Amino acid sequence: MTQRTYAEGETVDFVIVGSGAAGGVLAKELATAGFSVVVLEAGPWQQPSQFTHDELAVERENAMLNLAFEPIQTIRGSEAEPARRNAGRALAYRRGVGGSSVHFAANYWRFRPIDFKERSKWGPISGSGFADWPITYAELEPYYTKVDWEIGVSGAPGPFDPPRSRPYPLPPLPNKSSGVLLERGARALGLHAQPSPLAILSKQYDGRSACLACGHCSLYGCEFGAKSSTLATVIPKAVATGTCEVRAESTAFRVETNARGRATGVMYWDREGKERRQRARAVIVAANGAETTRLLLLSATPAFPHGLANSSGNVGRYIMFNGHASTFGRFDHPLNEYKGPVASRTVHDFYDADAKRGFYGGGGIDARFNYQPIGFALGVLPDDVPTWGPEYKRALAEYFTHSVRFYAHITSLPVASNTVTLDHDNKDRWGRPGLCLTYTDHPDDMKAKQWFRDRTEELMHAAGATRVWTQPILPIDGGVHLLGTARMGDHPRESVVDRYHRAHDVPNLFICDGSNFVTSGRGQPTMTIQALAFRAAEHIGRFAKSHEI
Amino acid sequence: MLEVPWLAAVASCRRDDGKNADGFAALTPAEARAMQAFAAQIIPSDKALPGADEAGAVHFIDRAFGKPFFADIVPVVRAGLADLDARARALGERDFASLSAGRQVAIMRQVERTPFFLAARMLVVVGTFADSAYGGNKRGAGWTIVGFEHEPTYASPFGWYDAHEEADAKSDA
Repeated sequence: MTQRTYAEGETVDFVIVGSGAAGGVLAKELATAGFSVVVLEAGPWQQPSQFTHDELAVERENAMLNLAFEPIQTIRGSEAEPARRNAGRALAYRRGVGGSSVHFAANYWRFRPIDFKERSKWGPISGSGFADWPITYAELEPYYTKVDWEIGVSGAPGPFDPPRSRPYPLPPLPNKSSGVLLERGARALGLHAQPSPLAILSKQYDGRSACLACGHCSLYGCEFGAKSSTLATVIPKAVATGTCEVRAESTAFRVETNARGRATGVMYWDREGKERRQRARAVIVAANGAETTRLLLLSATPAFPHGLANSSGNVGRYIMFNGHASTFGRFDHPLNEYKGPVASRTVHDFYDADAKRGFYGGGGIDARFNYQPIGFALGVLPDDVPTWGPEYKRALAEYFTHSVRFYAHITSLPVASNTVTLDHDNKDRWGRPGLCLTYTDHPDDMKAKQWFRDRTEELMHAAGATRVWTQPILPIDGGVHLLGTARMGDHPRESVVDRYHRAHDVPNLFICDGSNFVTSGRGQPTMTIQALAFRAAEHIGRFAKSHEI
Repeated sequence: MLEVPWLAAVASCRRDDGKNADGFAALTPAEARAMQAFAAQIIPSDKALPGADEAGAVHFIDRAFGKPFFADIVPVVRAGLADLDARARALGERDFASLSAGRQVAIMRQVERTPFFLAARMLVVVGTFADSAYGGNKRGAGWTIVGFEHEPTYASPFGWYDAHEEADAKSDA
């Protein structure tokens, strides 16, 4: 694709750091509004034809993820502990044009009215920074609808859905055996399974192919363009405006500020590792909850000694990943869950937290078996199955096609001592300080995981599984939802950005990605990240046109 | 993909550069013998389905030894394979591969909690199921074991339950 390019030294209206779920939307919206935009993306610009089904490269070697470029991340339970190498999930995201929207599983749950006002409804929770959002579901609803129609979301209404101003543009994808079984279990327990909304096309839409059910959604890129990543949707449109340049393999390392405390541009390394500067009238950081944190902390100056936009001290704080808990089941007939999108049905009866449970926490349960053969053979079978020999082999043959997991996606509380900080002892490939995760699950989060695991187990029995097994509830050691590290709020002492994503401390710096989340939602954040991005783009464009930046 | 037999032959010749007489690049002949026998006990062959042996997992492992991703475990695996042979010699046999299946299994039980065993078992599993471009999973043997069709795309219904969805809903109603 040929695109407009801006010469070195040229000052553009906006430089956007990151081309993922949020950055891609912001680029398209602001470029369409006539602004000049440069997007700096650390990773390569892959074409759909470069995406493969190679499980070893994608799932084991992390070919597309930051982890391949940052071999050492550290973790500790609290500041008092020494940081150790994080051999767990770590802070994981994809580097490349389209960001993690390329390899996500594409579950597109909206948040609900309760998510934005839950602190008021529930009250304070000891040991947490539980707070209301400064915006409401009603304010965000038009932008959820915009996401549905602009990128292509397939789905159908369910009994507990929040209000929507327009129907889904596309019907749900075909139900899978896992969905039929979740429906069966739900019916038996008086619960409800509804079609899972997915950012995957059930029919041709906007010039793109319908899903061909290759079964490689989660962790893989879609070679058919049927998954509604920003790479497949808004980025080509941003480029087509003729005012947006997406500059791949450009790793931002500092937001520059002047003596007046205004952002003047972004310093980055190009693909040869050479330092470059992109000047801009305003800077938008949309790099995800981990990289946004790193960039802001590395942009400290004498005027901003604790990092840019960090007078509250909340940059990097309150990280949330969403908890998970699940139960596996084997059935008499084949399910072949490796075919088709990840999940086709979801139970939302437990979305709301309920004080009667004795803890705070809510979530949703879907049915999936997103394992390719290597991952399955290494880590899924019940504990009493030997790990080698004839019985192991028999289980490999009997379980892969016949098994499913009921998988709960759960709230995580924002806790001030759960942080992403710079690790000066470990550097990434470019010599920047590495990332240290300090994290201890809030006690309510552990209870919620246990409670939801019990629900998944009941559902699995009710669905008629002939063999049911669970995995232990483990503390969180990282994840792919990187939320909360630059939270949104009205008060500069308590939050990093205002309700329009403008940094409280820097008038022409905006931050828009999962870092702005005040609470975690129930486990599928990208739909809300994109609704926020559409909304932010509208307000930022308005400010720019009225000279309020 | 374009099927040109001579092209494939040329390509495979290139891959064989640097290999020793037994067709292995990184594994010594003794290591390859021990690894192949070990793999055949991890995922055994039987009448119904192929095993790690037919999948050629040992050829994957030979290449994996040259990949940075597996660099940390190579010395552990080499030492463990030598140890398997040493244990066989202590029983009066030439090497581990020469032992009867039963005696191989008995030795493997002795070491099954060691870092070597865990690493070698992981390599066998990965080699059996990874894309055949990596040298193992020959003719999709690993995928045959688990019943993975490995087609580029699929059509609904995918499984028995979605094929019988209406009947399922009725029977419960």
